[in-house]
Amino acid sequence: MSGLETYRAAACAFLDAMVPKYGREARTGNSVEQDLALGRAYMAAKYDAGFAGINWPVEVGGQGLTHLHKITFDAEEMQRGMPVQFFGISLGMPVPILMHYCEDKAFVKERVTKALRGEEIWCQMFSEPSGGSDLAALRTRVEPDGNGWKMNGQKIWTSWAQYCDYGVIVTRSDPTAEKHKGLTYFWIDMRAKGVEVRPIKLAGGDSHVNEVFFDDVRIEDSQRLGAVGGGFGVSLHTLMIERYIATDSGGFGPHLDEFVKLAGEVDLNGAPALRDGRVRSAIARNHAMRAGLDSITKRAFLMMQAGMQPGPEGSLQKLVAVRSRQRLSELAMDLKGNAGLAFDPHAFVKTDWGTSWLNAPTGRIAGGSDEVLLNTIAEKILGLPQDHRPDKGIPFNQIPA
Amino acid sequence: MSMLYDEGQQAIATESRRVLDARTSKDRLLKLLEQVGELDQPFWDTAVEQGWTALAIPEEHGGLGLGLVELGLVAQAAGAATAGAPFLTSGYGAVSALLGSRNAELQARWLPRLASGEALACVALAEGNAALPPSPSVIFAGGTLMGTKPAVTGGIKADIAVVWASSGGKPALVLAELAPAERRALNSYDNSRLYADLTFAGTPATVLAEGDAALALARDVLARMAVVAAHEQVGGAEALLHIARDYAVTRKAFGQLIGAFQSIKHRIAEMYGLVEVARANCIHAAASEGTAEFLIAAADARISATEAYDTNSRDCVQIHGGIGVTWELGLHLHMRRARSLAVEQGSLLFWEDLLVNQLTGEAA
Repeated sequence: MSGLETYRAAACAFLDAMVPKYGREARTGNSVEQDLALGRAYMAAKYDAGFAGINWPVEVGGQGLTHLHKITFDAEEMQRGMPVQFFGISLGMPVPILMHYCEDKAFVKERVTKALRGEEIWCQMFSEPSGGSDLAALRTRVEPDGNGWKMNGQKIWTSWAQYCDYGVIVTRSDPTAEKHKGLTYFWIDMRAKGVEVRPIKLAGGDSHVNEVFFDDVRIEDSQRLGAVGGGFGVSLHTLMIERYIATDSGGFGPHLDEFVKLAGEVDLNGAPALRDGRVRSAIARNHAMRAGLDSITKRAFLMMQAGMQPGPEGSLQKLVAVRSRQRLSELAMDLKGNAGLAFDPHAFVKTDWGTSWLNAPTGRIAGGSDEVLLNTIAEKILGLPQDHRPDKGIPFNQIPA
Repeated sequence: MSMLYDEGQQAIATESRRVLDARTSKDRLLKLLEQVGELDQPFWDTAVEQGWTALAIPEEHGGLGLGLVELGLVAQAAGAATAGAPFLTSGYGAVSALLGSRNAELQARWLPRLASGEALACVALAEGNAALPPSPSVIFAGGTLMGTKPAVTGGIKADIAVVWASSGGKPALVLAELAPAERRALNSYDNSRLYADLTFAGTPATVLAEGDAALALARDVLARMAVVAAHEQVGGAEALLHIARDYAVTRKAFGQLIGAFQSIKHRIAEMYGLVEVARANCIHAAASEGTAEFLIAAADARISATEAYDTNSRDCVQIHGGIGVTWELGLHLHMRRARSLAVEQGSLLFWEDLLVNQLTGEAA
């Protein structure tokens, strides 16, 4: 067994022991608050067992292992449905950025430890009502205030902000500069005076995203991450940290086996639906698509193991997988007919077709919409021209509204 | 086998692409479209000279002892060039059938000649839309074949044919020399595929496999040819992606490059996605040769590659507008090849059913 396979075996042994207490079945019927409490307990158990901060330096409390070890663990963890959704962004982007840019190392170590143990959660405040895909159109502004800054404005779509202790934020510090150049990046205390979080109820009925309002919020200059005016670069760095994360060719919806099982159970025109050509075609096309994405992932993994840089085709995963999941979920609902009209709002996306369908649009928009991903593929991989951008090269405060 | 190409394999990919780039002539291929029964001789001479006919044949039979991964890489280069002869795939099919037959005498007679390019082979399995008909209409009895196999790829020029036939109510896979058979050349939309109806009237043939073993062998041969064809389809689909991209960054309309319009750039990005998914499936299928997963991997490769080549040929033409439908530009070489390859070795209809049968454990 290779080192990684030994590691996988150890991870599985740990995770399997955790499943009765923290796995998908144990969580069924939990309220969000109950699930969060369970998640915090799981994170602490993971920390104590030495599976937290897998690819982070030992000095800050990590395990000092490779990115491949982390993907290996994450893939196994995802299979078992552990309550980690609250911590994914926190540990995925804001905390690594703090580790990279914050100079107060004692502060960093304390935050990292608490974040890894699930005692503190960090959010990332990028999107605003005036721009999600167009990040640099943001309007939340900071002004010099004595030896620090004063912030006013609003962020939106901030995941789990209502449970967060800290957050990272990109703001406009110079409205007279071009839109990408007048931005500055900070960490902030979500409990500071003038910060107000209002949950947004989404179409699926849950409220994991929020609006966050800032009214004369005081920020110390020591909270700045990166240079004044360098905020766009730090934002890009944030988004690039985890380019190769554990992916799911099912688009984070149900496994194709679940669809095959359903098609074998229900009748269509007096025969098992599995005999219907339309159903068979959907199964075959989805299988071929998912197998292709899985092979892309396997190859990327092998390349990283061999010390090579994986190809850019990894960027297809979310684009291709989530929209396919959306359509397959619709077909699964059609197969159930009116027997599938009963709906459980607390069902899991990975096991319930209705929930998968209702939440699929979020997957196609969050973390880079389909359209932005297609633009990125077209421009960065294929060298096609950028879209026409009338706001290019113009000082931000002179861009027509 | 690893899903990462080693240095030797990368060299095969680069070299086959380089040689074909240098020796392929669009004008020659366009002329072949209007000639029945002709292949692109410079391409086939290149294939023989480069040893591509010998690639996947064991060394003891005069081959190079490599496999599906290497042949797939060459097929990808051939697909990009819309290569004007079908014998890389059909020759490999015949080689696979011979190796699977365990008939040492036939192997000794034909494998060295197939390796050297001295003999050409075709594989006659399909009848209409049945890639592997359960009761083939061609009958094998008393050591001879009776009946007609329609539109056999390479049938006009092949010296031998692997034939899917019925023998006493059961299927049989047999090998026949074609000299005594009657061939009727077809005028097709892709004439360098050399389609011919092969009519056997007491043509001598030798059994490669019978009964259940014949079905298993024929299916394995078909799956192997489908994986080679899938590589060829990926090569074609990728070539079209590049042609579309290159056009979109040179052609202007409404005062800007057409590649700056999202209707164009997103279409090209989708073409890229189809190519990469199909390529990954091809790599996996080739690396799965000889394992229990091979048939499913072959189906995944075949389905995604067919979708990629068909879609990219539609969309590449569309992106070009009027110039795209001219004879001279030649995009129709890819359009035609996308369809001929989609039908040969079993269409999407066949492979979708086969894949679902495999996934659910149903009998075919």
